[in-house]
Amino acid sequence: MVKVVKTRVEFEGRFRDEYTVVEGEPLEGWSPKSGLKIVGRPHPRVDGAAKVTGSAKYTHDVYLPGMVYGKFLRSPYAHAKITHIDASEAEGLPGVLGVYTYKNAATLGFGGAEKVFKQEVTYQGDVVALVLAQDESVAEDALELIRVEYEPLRPLVDPEEIMGLDSSKDRIVGPKLYERGDLEKGFAEADVIVEESFKTQAALHNCMETHGSVAHWEGDNLVVHTSTQSVFNVRSALSEELGIPQSKIRVVSEFMGGGFGSKFGAGEYTVVAAAAARLLGRPVRIVLDRVEENLATGNRSQTVQWVKIGAKRDGRITAIHLKGLVNVGEDGWVADLGGPAKMMYHCPNVKVELYGVKTNLVSSTAFRAPGYVEGDFALESAVDELARRLNMDPLELRLLNYATRDPVTNSEYSSKALREAYLKGAELIGWRSEPRVVRDGAKIRAKGVAGAIWWGGGGPPAYAEVKVNADGGVTVLTATQDIGTGTRTALAQIAAEELGLPFSSVRVVLGDTITELRSPGSGGSQTLASMGPAVRAAAHDAKNQLLEIASQVYDVAKERLTIREGSIFRSDGSVLCSVGELLGNLGDFSVTGRGAREPNQEGYMVNTFAAQFAEVEVDTETGTLRVLRLVSVHDSGMVVNPLTFTSQVEGGVIMGMGYALWEGRLVDGESGVVINPNLNDYLVARCSDVGEITPTYVEPEDPHTNSLGVKGIGEPPIIGVAPAIANALREAIGVRLRELPFTPERVYSAIKGINPRPTTAKYL
Amino acid sequence: METFILVFKVLGFGDLCLYPASFEYYAPASLDEAIDLLNKHREEARVLAGGHSLIPMMKLRVLRPAYVIDLNRVKGLKYIEEKGGEIRIGALTTYYDVITSDIVKRRVPILAECASVVADPQVRNWGTIGGSLSHCDPSGDMGSSILALRAKMVAKGSSGERVIESDDWFVGSFQSALKTGEILREIVIPTPKPGSGGAYLKLERKAGDYAIAAVGVQVTLDGSGSCTYAGIGLTAVGPTNLRAKKAEQALVGRKVDDRVIEEAARAATEDCRPTDDPLRGSAEYKRAMVGVLTKRALNKALADAKRSR
Ligand SMILES: Cc1cc2nc3c(=O)[nH]c(=O)nc-3n(C[C@H](O)[C@H](O)[C@H](O)COP(=O)(O)OP(=O)(O)OC[C@H]3O[C@@H](n4cnc5c(N)ncnc54)[C@H](O)[C@@H]3O)c2cc1C
Repeated sequence: MVKVVKTRVEFEGRFRDEYTVVEGEPLEGWSPKSGLKIVGRPHPRVDGAAKVTGSAKYTHDVYLPGMVYGKFLRSPYAHAKITHIDASEAEGLPGVLGVYTYKNAATLGFGGAEKVFKQEVTYQGDVVALVLAQDESVAEDALELIRVEYEPLRPLVDPEEIMGLDSSKDRIVGPKLYERGDLEKGFAEADVIVEESFKTQAALHNCMETHGSVAHWEGDNLVVHTSTQSVFNVRSALSEELGIPQSKIRVVSEFMGGGFGSKFGAGEYTVVAAAAARLLGRPVRIVLDRVEENLATGNRSQTVQWVKIGAKRDGRITAIHLKGLVNVGEDGWVADLGGPAKMMYHCPNVKVELYGVKTNLVSSTAFRAPGYVEGDFALESAVDELARRLNMDPLELRLLNYATRDPVTNSEYSSKALREAYLKGAELIGWRSEPRVVRDGAKIRAKGVAGAIWWGGGGPPAYAEVKVNADGGVTVLTATQDIGTGTRTALAQIAAEELGLPFSSVRVVLGDTITELRSPGSGGSQTLASMGPAVRAAAHDAKNQLLEIASQVYDVAKERLTIREGSIFRSDGSVLCSVGELLGNLGDFSVTGRGAREPNQEGYMVNTFAAQFAEVEVDTETGTLRVLRLVSVHDSGMVVNPLTFTSQVEGGVIMGMGYALWEGRLVDGESGVVINPNLNDYLVARCSDVGEITPTYVEPEDPHTNSLGVKGIGEPPIIGVAPAIANALREAIGVRLRELPFTPERVYSAIKGINPRPTTAKYL
Repeated sequence: METFILVFKVLGFGDLCLYPASFEYYAPASLDEAIDLLNKHREEARVLAGGHSLIPMMKLRVLRPAYVIDLNRVKGLKYIEEKGGEIRIGALTTYYDVITSDIVKRRVPILAECASVVADPQVRNWGTIGGSLSHCDPSGDMGSSILALRAKMVAKGSSGERVIESDDWFVGSFQSALKTGEILREIVIPTPKPGSGGAYLKLERKAGDYAIAAVGVQVTLDGSGSCTYAGIGLTAVGPTNLRAKKAEQALVGRKVDDRVIEEAARAATEDCRPTDDPLRGSAEYKRAMVGVLTKRALNKALADAKRSR
């Protein structure tokens, strides 16, 4: 029976109403106390061996016979007009199959061609031309032969500078406002007020696998292999741009080398590859190199933030005011820096004002907990300063202002165990049992804490099928993506658990639109909370059918049968038959169960929480900073796989350390040119840079989220890392650093009280 | 010129390339053959050792040699031996070989310490001491240890061999004393006397990065605790690896105590010539770091020297 329901769906804190088709009856919720046998256990990844041996096929591994390579020529200027362009020499190079610029882009035959190939380039890395050639080396030779004359125009890249220019008002977006209570009254009631300003840098995703696609046509059907977080987004974009129906397009992303928010759309490389493949009648591959990746695929926004917090002498927070500038690049979006300020604390009077500022840099894009990472750094640093002013333990201050209901909507949380997380983390880091600061010659060690809040409740639409075939093997079909998080493994655990069949008998097929099983994009920490329940429902449906079949074949009442470890048992505990035997007797019949994600329950806020504690060591003579320990305690509902949970937390924490200590796009303020668009100069953490990470969880029962009781874990681990480190550093050196990243020179200058000379190179 | 292009590229201008421009490849079996090829193609040719500087520059198309002469099949360029008061190291000896050599560990541990903070294991397995010195990157680590040890370079060309003092080797950024047509064959280090110690300390943004600044120190103490030899080399704080001569002078002939160490460290900050760079720090910061690193390296080297008496 098909049923349509309207439900509220959240994605990274933005809500929309969706109609969704649901099937089947609601299932009894799982919880850590349900006595589950496969879910909740540490299963190694089902595709781990394939990945480490190199047999897993990523988009970058797709080489097709007769394949043509596409390569973009990109603007060296942040802002310029092309006054002359001549591709004739490049076109004449042997092995070149075509060169496209704004002059002939329309002949590529897709809708937005003139938006991709522009005469006026507006950021460094903007597309100027495309070369199609028999191999990449010839393509690069051809790029050098395209003669381009530019008339450089003045680029604007610094939001603070733009805010001061009367001539640039059209570059300012907003303000985006949020207000509750009476801010003035809140500050009037306060005994203590702290006012702080912070700057955070643009960070680059640097997924191991760069953006890329391989497109080929089989008759008038298009097949695209692409590194994406959403095969369906890519399909609808291709359908629109190429003017062909979705049913003729198959988008595949079987293995994926990271997305972190940067791979939700089709990207011009995909559309161009598909259009060029149609034109040439040959497969076309466009894979970006690292520099293109770092210039032209987006970034976490640079921000400038002002935070003001008022509190009573006893520590109760009475008012929070956040003002923020967000560098959105050419045309990015204003990420919600205000999330933590609005949601973390029980505070009646809050105001958030955000301005987006458009600059001559690539459009900013989503990046692991967009806005919250930046906002939490500012808020949690300011809260730490407040604790100092009040002479309170910063942990006590946080617990005192703990929100027991969502302060924005005043609704109940589906579950919240942040308090338990704080206490567990405090225990593990020795918050009370060990000294907070230790001196050892030129070195000082100290500890700091920060809290984090995020979304990740997921929701419909998400559909799955579970097939049990004649020998008892199971295939789970979905079109979600495993972007490296371990989705395949978790979905296999869920199907096996629900079916009562062995984990090893389950194979998960995903990342392919041909299944036509609608799934959400893999982002917003929502994959498991969205897809998991759909898979469980499909497995439940398949199980029901198996029991029904067994009941009819063996003439036993269905209610008296159960499936365990691959066999069907009678209620007296004796074995009726194995699942393989049952289906084998029916010829090569396979059972297909269908499942849909149930709607979200009304009236509950689904949030994820984390308490993060850092211990740092500062070399006071050189300014170098090491994070010795990071304890990361999470409330993400029930944990399906403690191993993949650990990987997510370690990865997120390491990325957060990178953000705090090393990562940052450096831009020349005058030319708008990026100084470090490669991995030699833009520093991403490696194993040797990372101290001891303790990922752990508190596991609240959550009957209000979904039939699994799970919430997301993809993004929460990165959020509180930078402020925890910042607070530990403050404790160590007695000075607050307000600008990320904490480079050795910045730390050194803070210790020595030196004001560094301003330079034209800026973290923008 | 190369530096200029390098900077130009780093700043993101120019084409973004992954593949070198086309070139011809030779793999000669003997050094003489290599030298003949090099003299035939002159400026158009480059020799290839570990490739960890040459290949990145070629794939960015900063360098476009028409001919690449691979030295890796040339026999007899990979060794570390000690004879007649000298340690001889073949140009093709890798960082890894240096780090694991017993002779190095016993006689010139500064070299092992230095090689072990170059880049990452992949680079250390391929990169060679000869390649590093010929490349003459002012941020290269090996050069400073070579200066501290006052090593000599043996170059071979079509008209025979010549010996180049380390003081004369570092001509400019990415410019060694090698003439067109010459190949660096060997590095010769005078074996330090008993009572010697050395240290190489590198300050980096994070593990594996090029230095913000680094200091190599080699000292010898006599029976009375007086300093009879001091060599100090500086990395990434000048147009080439630099010798900190004033700092050396502050030490030689004196009994080295904390006050003398401070004096030498201060002198080293005057010896260096750092420039601002947006990635690693201001000139002032680097100068201050040279002082800190010199002091720390001296303390370490002196402790070793006292122990080895
Ligand atoms: C990721 C990365 C990080 C790095 N980090 C560091 C670092 O922290 N510190 C550091 O010091 N270095 C670093 N390097 C550079 C590395 O040490 C190089 O390997 C070294 O500089 C060059 O040695 P090679 O054997 O690879 O030389 P090649 O790359 O083969 O050659 C370099 C140059 O020297 C010439 N040449 C080589 N051998 C000879 C010879 N015998 N005679 C004449 N000319 C010769 C070549 O023609 C070429 O011009 C790094 C490199 C990489 C890729």
